[in-house]
Amino acid sequence: MATRDDGLDAMMNIWQESQAAFFKAQKEVADSFTKALSQTGQGADMAGSMAGNMADMSTMSGGVKAWQDFIKSWAPGWDPSAMMGQPNRTNMFNMGRDDVFSMLDASNWTQFAPDQLRDILMSIANGPRFADLAMPQVDAAGAWREVLDYQQATADFAKTMQKAWSKAYEEYSKSFTLEDLKAPDPGEALDAWLAAANEQLLDIQRSPEFLDAQRRMLRAGNEIKARQRDLAEQWSEAYQMPTRTEVDDLAKIVQELRREVRQLKRQLAAQ
Amino acid sequence: MAASQTDPEKLLNEAMQAWAASVQSLVESGAKAVRSSEFLASATDLEVAIAETPSDEVFRIDKVTVSRYQPLTEVRTDVPPVLISYGLFGRQTMIDLQEDRSLVRNLLSAGVDVYVVDWGTPTRADQFITLDDIIDDYLRSCVEYLASRNDGKPITMFGICEGGTFSAALAAAQPQLFAGLALAITPIDFKGDPDNFWPGEGFLNSWISNLTEDDIDLLIGTYGMLPGALTGAVFSSLTPVTSMTKYNLGLARMDGNEAAILNFLRMEKWIADRPDHPGAAAREWLNDLYRENHLVKGKFKIAGKAVDLSNIACPVLNIYAKQDHIVPASCTRPLGDFLSDDQYEEIGFPGGHVGVFVSGKAQGVVAGGLVEWMERKLTAAGAKGQPTETSSRSATKKTKTRAKTKTKA
Repeated sequence: MATRDDGLDAMMNIWQESQAAFFKAQKEVADSFTKALSQTGQGADMAGSMAGNMADMSTMSGGVKAWQDFIKSWAPGWDPSAMMGQPNRTNMFNMGRDDVFSMLDASNWTQFAPDQLRDILMSIANGPRFADLAMPQVDAAGAWREVLDYQQATADFAKTMQKAWSKAYEEYSKSFTLEDLKAPDPGEALDAWLAAANEQLLDIQRSPEFLDAQRRMLRAGNEIKARQRDLAEQWSEAYQMPTRTEVDDLAKIVQELRREVRQLKRQLAAQ
Repeated sequence: MAASQTDPEKLLNEAMQAWAASVQSLVESGAKAVRSSEFLASATDLEVAIAETPSDEVFRIDKVTVSRYQPLTEVRTDVPPVLISYGLFGRQTMIDLQEDRSLVRNLLSAGVDVYVVDWGTPTRADQFITLDDIIDDYLRSCVEYLASRNDGKPITMFGICEGGTFSAALAAAQPQLFAGLALAITPIDFKGDPDNFWPGEGFLNSWISNLTEDDIDLLIGTYGMLPGALTGAVFSSLTPVTSMTKYNLGLARMDGNEAAILNFLRMEKWIADRPDHPGAAAREWLNDLYRENHLVKGKFKIAGKAVDLSNIACPVLNIYAKQDHIVPASCTRPLGDFLSDDQYEEIGFPGGHVGVFVSGKAQGVVAGGLVEWMERKLTAAGAKGQPTETSSRSATKKTKTRAKTKTKA
């Protein structure tokens, strides 16, 4: 018959085994991430740039290849050559304070991302969170995905506007040519061109295609800005500075107090 | 003759070349451009002075101040003092841009006692200021101050653009404070008549309506405020070709005309000085008013009570611009649906949004019309039905064809 102590031992064993398993899993994730990011063997300390929830990243260095390898470790089937570009930015983590914002600029990595990459980033960003496990890759993947979305949104918006410009020239060229605009007195051609451009631009700005592109671009831009705000908060917190949230809280309290005081004054005056 | 390209890329390429060529050819060939450039190179910011009519601050609540303009004439009308309120999307300096284009000076010259609200420069510390704070606290305090200065008698309110919406809402909530209400380029029905918008009209309405509440919350939540720079960019994009050509073709065509360039620079100075809008109020302005159209639906609340525009008890003059691309006429004229026929009048100005105040023509039509209306409706003589000398000037009377409030979803 099992004694009370035996039960306690069994519980302790279970606890120790689970803890060991947890640490092993944590180590594997950390090793995988560290290995991936240290492939280039250069790059500055990234801990400062990501701050806050990035626990001991001091051994990690960054670079395009490191990120590609990291993503590949999550999705072995992904082809990084599909988005190679801007190799001159490989030591972007050497830029000190600006690292935070450089992290958010996917133009450092790629012009356009394949949907496959976006899916991978989404799966990382939306993955489960663990209370005692730092997961910098989640934030980084989220930030990267948002910049890719912004790139896509601006490209779509530009495409929409390009259509209007093309159509404007099509209309203009029914009566004039490009050479007419280069003539010594381009007055008539110029007015015709401006009128055509104005008509088409105004027309496109009311189209569902434009409205959709505009909304997505605004949304994507704001998501990046919100991410910057989050990172700035982490910086502020790490360096014992008031965070924006804290200052906002104070502003809200002051505004509410002002309201109350004025209401009371009005009530008193009415008595 | 016509190029016959069908390849979209080639077409776009040619379009871009055409754009560059049109600007370049004018700059290269035009002595006009050179003359404008010469003047611009010699002009200083000090020469581009705006809002120079002297005034004195007489009231302050937080960052909001009221200034009284110093009289320009010994003559006095007996119209109640006028409090002018612009909105928070731009500065009130627009009503006193330059000496010969100044609503303030025109009113002072007619003997009117003029006060103007300055909303100050809101920062993120002011982001939690709501429309209720602006209307029922700040604006109401300003009006009450002026009424107390007027021996407790009601005053004349002149609200412009967003400031007009504030004024109308306050006049409905606190009608006893107002002897007369004049509005200019003021949105009331935030949907307007989209089926009949002319090209370029009503973009703001459709663009904002196209956003979700969450889009707007993210925008305001992220910045805390509605950034003035963003508002400015949106306004510029409402008139794309005009905005793209004003610094090149526009300036070149001024042909070195100093007066014209100075007018342009004053306007630029006013545009550049665009404050951030308090976030909470902007959220309500965009979500509750632009998207949901709460004001004409009777759902917009001040001090916890729904605003009923038909509670406005004083005479109302509504000035709108027929070519207003920012606040369509169909967004402002529905105010008349809430008011009695003998209470409500309109002036339809043949010009654009800002032209109502800064164009040469506006000085007579708008300022003159406003003075004439006040003398006719708000003075003791006028109230007894004795038209003053100026009342023969035409204020385009509204035709009585309106049906009761047609609100759009």
